[in-house]
Amino acid sequence: MTLLDWTILVLRVALPALILPAIVTPLVWVERRVAAFIQDRPGPNRVGPFGLLQSPADILKLFMKEEVVPSSVDRLLFFLAPGLAVFAALSTFAVIPYGSTIHVEGREIPLLGADVSIGVLYIFAIASISVYAIVLAGWSSNDKFSLMGGIRSSAQMISYELAMTSAAAGVILATSSFRLNDVVGHQQGVWLGFVPRWNALVQPLGFLIFFVSAFAETNRLPFDLPEAEAELVAGYHTEYSAMHFGSYFLAEYINVIVASALTTTLYFGGWSLPGFHPMGILGAAASIAIFAAKTSFFVFIFIWVRWTLPRFRYDQLMTLGWKALLPLSLVNLFWAAALELWRMGMGTGR
Amino acid sequence: MDRLVFEVAAAIAIVFAALMVLSRNPVRSVLSLVVSFFALAGCYVLLFSPFIAVIQVIVYAGAILVLFLFVLMLLNVGPERPEKTGRPIQTLLSGIAIVLFAGFLLSTLRHSGSAVPRALAAEPNVLGKPDALARELFGGYLLHFEAVSVLLLAALVGAFVLARRDRGSRA
Repeated sequence: MTLLDWTILVLRVALPALILPAIVTPLVWVERRVAAFIQDRPGPNRVGPFGLLQSPADILKLFMKEEVVPSSVDRLLFFLAPGLAVFAALSTFAVIPYGSTIHVEGREIPLLGADVSIGVLYIFAIASISVYAIVLAGWSSNDKFSLMGGIRSSAQMISYELAMTSAAAGVILATSSFRLNDVVGHQQGVWLGFVPRWNALVQPLGFLIFFVSAFAETNRLPFDLPEAEAELVAGYHTEYSAMHFGSYFLAEYINVIVASALTTTLYFGGWSLPGFHPMGILGAAASIAIFAAKTSFFVFIFIWVRWTLPRFRYDQLMTLGWKALLPLSLVNLFWAAALELWRMGMGTGR
Repeated sequence: MDRLVFEVAAAIAIVFAALMVLSRNPVRSVLSLVVSFFALAGCYVLLFSPFIAVIQVIVYAGAILVLFLFVLMLLNVGPERPEKTGRPIQTLLSGIAIVLFAGFLLSTLRHSGSAVPRALAAEPNVLGKPDALARELFGGYLLHFEAVSVLLLAALVGAFVLARRDRGSRA
């Protein structure tokens, strides 16, 4: 490998890992301004223009604060857990294609961290690590509220992982590949001249199940039972302070971005648009912009829902997951399989 | 390079498997097993089977061990106290078993030679690819595959019946 190859490799791996945490700062500001707008109040508007410097100020505060560690915690696991949360959140993004390909000195470089053949499955495997981050935080804190949060979270995430995976299986079936760039490629082109061939239009039920489960997997309202402030003080991170506490928020916001990016890729054509054929470096930049715009839209829905819907009760959460979403995701799978059979029968398969 | 990474991953898997047995704290035991499973998944990747590696992480580390942890937390199991092992005959017999197993393992390793089977190394993409695996599972081994799933279903129903009967007798 030459120096250029190494540079490309390092950039491919490092860029998403650096950009994601950088986006979180303005995202926190957006969330607070949107919340304020929904609740008919101004929101943070004093620090810097439009209050834009409020989030950097808050993050600086988190770094400067004193770290208070209760004496009865399991120290190894207590400090391992927040790191695990951030690690899991960041490494999920590695297989999501955020743009088309660019050409550097005759090399064709797809814009994603690693173009692996098991992309979708890799994401679900990493997502299972993030369960440990919360469960371990709850257990190692040696605190009732934290433990309750941890136990709720493990039950919730396992339940919704099933529905989420089964919904995504419909997309995999239609694409007949786990590679996420193949999923994007499968959704290019149009029907009837103007309808984009997005999976969300073919499998609307699957999209809905996937997106609802994404709320549960990221512990966002209306499914934020692991940290329900009103009943669990703060849930699994009650005993954390300073930046270890901040790590969980960093991980949560990154998870929201990744879940939105994944929804975009699986159901809304990723970086592609009908009639758009990326050419050269400008085309690649445009494809990144398209991807960012679609992802931002779903991040906005995450925020919108958080400030609109009330929290579910625990039994309602379980009923929804096991008795509604899981059977419906199987219905979706049958629908996808039937469509695929029909397409093969028509002789118009790929 | 690959060989070095493989050996490191294998060493991690073995060390943490040992920690799983030796740890007094049940939660630490489960976590050691998680690390061991991840290292094992790394070994699968280096043996040209990324699909099996990912399934290993999703099923074992992601679902089964989380359930273990869940139960341990709900029951709040404390650290295990060291107990005196029973009769001397048990110690003797377990010693013999360990020696026999070690001998068996050594002879197997000496005959097999390389860590990567030659057929797999020659055609690395055959078994590692999900569609090839699916063709085997739903083609030649369909009956076995279905039999295993029926077995699992029977176990599930059995557990359910056992739990129900307990409640029924008390009522």
